[in-house]
Formats: sequence, structure tokens, C-alpha cells
Amino acid sequence: MLSIKNLHVAIEDKAILRGLNLDIGSGEVHAIMGPNGSGKSTLSHVLAGREGYQVTAGEVLYEGQDLLALEPEQRAHQGIFLGMQYPVELPGVNNMMFMRESLNAIHRARGEAELDALEFMQRVREKARLVELDEQLLKRNVNAGFSGGEKKRNEILQMAMLEPRLAILDETDSGLDIDALRIIAGGVNALRSPQRSIILITHYQRLLDYIQPDIVHVLVEGRIVRSGDKQLALELEEKGYGWIEQGAAA
Amino acid sequence: MITAEQQRGWAETLMSHTDADQSGQGPGWLVAARTAARQAVAELPVLDRKQEAWRYTSIEALLKHRFRPASGAVDVPERDINACLLPEFDSYRLVFANGRYDPQLSSIKDLPDGVSVGNLRAGLTSDPELLVTWFGHAANHTEHVFTAMNTALVNDGVFVHVESQVQLDRPIEVIYLSQVDEDPLLMQPRNLIVLDAGAKATLVERFIGFGQSAYFHNNLSEISVGQSATLKHYRVQDESRSAYHLSSLYLSQQAQSRYHGTTLAFGGAWARTEYNTTFKQEGAVCELNGLYTVGDQQLTDFHLNVQHSVPGCVSREQFKGVLYGKGRAVFDGRILVDKQAQHSDAQLSNDNLMLSRNAEVDTKPQLEIYADDVKCSHGTTVGQLDPQQVFYLRSRGIDETTARKMLCLGFAAEVLDSIDVPALRDAASRKLSDTLNAAVEERGGKT
Repeated sequence: MLSIKNLHVAIEDKAILRGLNLDIGSGEVHAIMGPNGSGKSTLSHVLAGREGYQVTAGEVLYEGQDLLALEPEQRAHQGIFLGMQYPVELPGVNNMMFMRESLNAIHRARGEAELDALEFMQRVREKARLVELDEQLLKRNVNAGFSGGEKKRNEILQMAMLEPRLAILDETDSGLDIDALRIIAGGVNALRSPQRSIILITHYQRLLDYIQPDIVHVLVEGRIVRSGDKQLALELEEKGYGWIEQGAAA
Repeated sequence: MITAEQQRGWAETLMSHTDADQSGQGPGWLVAARTAARQAVAELPVLDRKQEAWRYTSIEALLKHRFRPASGAVDVPERDINACLLPEFDSYRLVFANGRYDPQLSSIKDLPDGVSVGNLRAGLTSDPELLVTWFGHAANHTEHVFTAMNTALVNDGVFVHVESQVQLDRPIEVIYLSQVDEDPLLMQPRNLIVLDAGAKATLVERFIGFGQSAYFHNNLSEISVGQSATLKHYRVQDESRSAYHLSSLYLSQQAQSRYHGTTLAFGGAWARTEYNTTFKQEGAVCELNGLYTVGDQQLTDFHLNVQHSVPGCVSREQFKGVLYGKGRAVFDGRILVDKQAQHSDAQLSNDNLMLSRNAEVDTKPQLEIYADDVKCSHGTTVGQLDPQQVFYLRSRGIDETTARKMLCLGFAAEVLDSIDVPALRDAASRKLSDTLNAAVEERGGKT
């Protein structure tokens, strides 16, 4: 469903991704691990369509179409979801209203009926239970005054509401204590399905104890240098990225 | 550049107009006030850039118009009147059409005991003692040429008196309707609002303009909030795009009184609001909120002058602006804390959201503190929409224009939420939303 070929991306003329190749099939969960600065977040931003990145070579095909030609909102309409590493606060924008606007925008774009207020409420309550998010947070402004863990749970709640075909979770585990991590992982696991692919971007193996990936990739200096099963993550944890980097340089 | 002669000539031409001549009318004290103010007009300094309070707000364009005082009835089409009324808003309503009180459009039946709501002219007959006591109690008639002109030609306006311990069951709503399609007109409502000790009231003022011609709405209000009394005062300025608007508010507060003021400024070509607050006794709270939107060929100006002259009073000033196109805004927030005003608590903020590179704001918070045991702060920001916030919304399927609009509405939400009259808040929110449609689209959304 997603095919990245020889992707080169620069920020202000500094090359970040340098020939990245990745193929993800329907229903697969891929983990992408790598040291700081290896290009993990750049990859997630480029897939979601954030401004400020120059694609200098390569292509990204999503369901057979040129993903990079689409605006960020069009990507969302087509089923792409980015769980942010640092979800921003939106002062004065009510969380519930925001999610309803988002869901309805996607429905409209797909020519589907919008949810009425009651249907929406039922759905958001049900999904909030999935990530154990206090309903009071739905009434607040988006992420305003939320703790780190609450922000991440709010991200997974949105994923649950929007039911994406491809979810990219950018360091969803960062800054979480063990209980929050378990809740988040539980939410993500509940959302696994043969129709939904997931890219887990993470620094640490810890997340993968809770969400078992089908494939683990190691990203170093803008390229995937190694792929394997979840044993690879354990090996990395033990030996550190230096082990791979040396191999990559050789 | 304007000269003192030009300013004086302009004002005197206006005042000598036969329609303006009120000299023989009303009680002696009023005639004397008019005469004194008329003399002051000749002596007041020219409001050019050398006057700090007028440095960023030129009156040059205003002085180019040959206004004549509005007189006689105006025939406002029923469609326009209906468009002005807020559905589901139950109020005691006063309507001034082109500055003249319109009893037909007003609705002040069944007022509770201890409450007078009506026009100033009627008040001269019904409450002469109150008027002689309170007229001019807070206003500085010689603040500048416009306050002097308002006094020199004083004719009619709003008169509200709420007696001790009386709580009004519904808001008082004042609609200033302007319909000017021919010669430029001057309207000068003169308002007096008095709340006795322990009284509670909500006052809503709505300025609505139609028509293509220029007019000058020179409004002056004196407000007294008695001991432990509470006044909530909401003002929505939606004058026509050809209008000049000046509101001079003079507020005096007694012990433990509370004043909550919110002004929303959407309209006008040139619009200025001046708040002058004086705390007469300890323990009073004054909260001033404001929201302004300005686009092409619009200037909106807020001047605050909050004087903490006694100890233990609290003031909160929160003003937010959304600027687009070639819109211009001026904010001057002065808070003075006198030496004896210990334990004063003052917080002032002014935040501006610039949607275009061609918009301009001049903002100047001023805290002058002469006491040593106070809690005072001020902050000013001028910024743009955060691209990360826009991206966050877009990544959730919301198109860029809608995303930008949602963020602008979010920026303004705090000020809108300070209005606790739902019908008014909803109407203001719709107005803001319509304004923002134009504001966020004109730029095509690209940085």
C-alpha cells in the first residue's frame, strides 16, 4: 500500500534522507528505529505533507498514487494519519469541536454522510474509553494544559476516530511512563487490522514489547541499513546503534 | 498636517449649524455646561501627531468632511431594523436612529421598581435632581475637541438609573442605528448610567451603520458604579465602512464595585474607543476586554486610562486584535498607580494576530507605578498564525482556509467568552466568523 523508492529529502539544502527505500503491505506493522538525527521524524513529516522539506529525488506511492503531490489534508482524506511527537496546543479551539470538524471534513471529502451530534458523541466517548482519556479533556481546548501522556492519548484517540489506512506514529512512546505506555499500546493494538498499516517510529525497543511489529528497520544517516524481525530490535537494545553504524560505514 | 485654525474652524462651522443650536434648551446648568464647552473648543490644542494620545491616529480625514448635526426623524427601512434585532434576546431596548431617540422602535415596558431607563431628554424632566448631580461627574469636557463638542451640542442620549439594591432582570440594550446616504452627518449621543449601591445591571450597546455616506458618531458615556454594585457592559461596534466613530467612556467606581466591560470593534473606517477609569474607593474591580478586527481602509484605536488612585483595587485589561489586508490598529493602555494606591493589582495584555504583511499595529502598554507594594504586569505580542498549528489541523483533514479560520476564532475566543449574554455572544461570533472568511481567504493562504 505504501512504496517509498530512493527518497532524498533536504531541509534548507542539508540532506537528511539519502536514498530511503521502504515497502509496506496492507495490515503490516513496521517499526523504524534509529539514532537521533537519522531522519526518522523527517520521514514522518514528509509522508504527512509538512512544509519546509525539499524532496530532491525519489518517489512515494500510496495505493499506487503519487503521495507527494497531495496537500496534507488530501492525504488525511485518503486515510493517512500522523501521530505527532510533539502535539501542539491549539488555544481557544475546543477538542471535541476540533475532532468533529476533522471527522466531518474527511467524510465530506469522501462523499460520505457527516455524523450528527449524537452519533459523534457516542463515538468519541467510546473511543476515549479505549485510551482511558478523561472525558473532561474532550471539553478543554486541544492539548491545552494536557500532560505529556494526555497529549499522546489524545493523538491515539484521534487515530481511533479517523480510522486511517496508514498510521504513522512518531515517537508516540517518548516521555511516557510505563502505565501510560501500556495504555497507548493497548489502544494501538486494538486498532490493528488487516486493512490498516502502521509505522512505529521509535528510539527505544521498549515500545515494541507492547506493540509487536512485523518488521523492524534501522535508519542511519537517512537510509535504511538493516531490516529484520523483532529480534533485530532486541539486538540493537543490547549492542547500541554504534554496532549498526559501524556496519553501515563499512 | 492639520493646524489649530483648521480644527477650530471645522468645529465652529459644525457648532454654528442651525440644527446644532440647543443653546436655549434645558435647565440653566445644562446651558452653562454647553456654553463653557463651546468656549473650550476654541482653546483646545490641535490633535496632531505631537499629541502623544493622537500620535498614531490622524484626524485629518475626519476634518475633511463637512458634517452637519443630524436632525429630524430618519426613515429606516423595516428590513434594516429587523436585521438589527437579535433573535431570542429579551431586553429593555432603546433605539437611537441617526442620533435621535426613536420611541416607536424602543421597548421599555414593565421596568421593575427602582429602575429608570430612557432617553436623557426625558430624564431632564423626570429626574432633574439626579441629572444635575451626575451630569459631568466623571467626564472631562475639555479632554479634547471631541468631548468638548459632545458637551457643547448635548441634546439627547441614554439615561439609566438603577436604585440601591435593585437587580435588573433583563439586559438593557441600546441600538444606535445609523443610516446615512446623503450629506455627512454628526451624531453625538450623551449617555449617563448610574448604579446606586448594591445595584446590578447588564448594559448592551450596539452600533450599527448602513448607507454609503460618511458620518461621525461621537459618543460620550459617563458611568457611575456605586458601592458593591455590578455593571456588565458589552459594546459591539459594527458601524458602516464609511463611518468615523469615537466612544469616550468615563467610569467612576465606588468601594467594592465591579465593572466588566467588553468592546468588540468590527466596523468603521476610523474608530476609536477611550476608556477612562477612576477608582474612588477601595476594593473595586474593573475588567476591560476588547477584540478588534481591521482590514483595508480601517483604523481602530483603543486608549485606556486606568487610574489606581486609592489602595486595593483590581484592574484587568485584555485586548486582542486580528489584522488583515492593510488594516491598522492602535492600542495605548495606560495604567497609573498613585503613591497611596498600595496593594493595587493590575494586569494588562494586548495581543495582535497579523494575517497580512501589509497590516500595521502600534501598541503601547504603559504602567506608571508610584506605589511600592503592588502587583502589576503587562504584556504585548504581535505575531502570526503558527505554521505548526495550521499543519496540525490540515493533517487531520481540515483544509487550510478553515484551519486558519479556526485558529483565528480560537485566538479571539477568550474575549468573546467574556460576554455572558448568549444571544449577543452568538451574534458576535457569527459576525467575527464572516469577517474572518474574508480575512483568511484574501491571502490565498500562502506564506
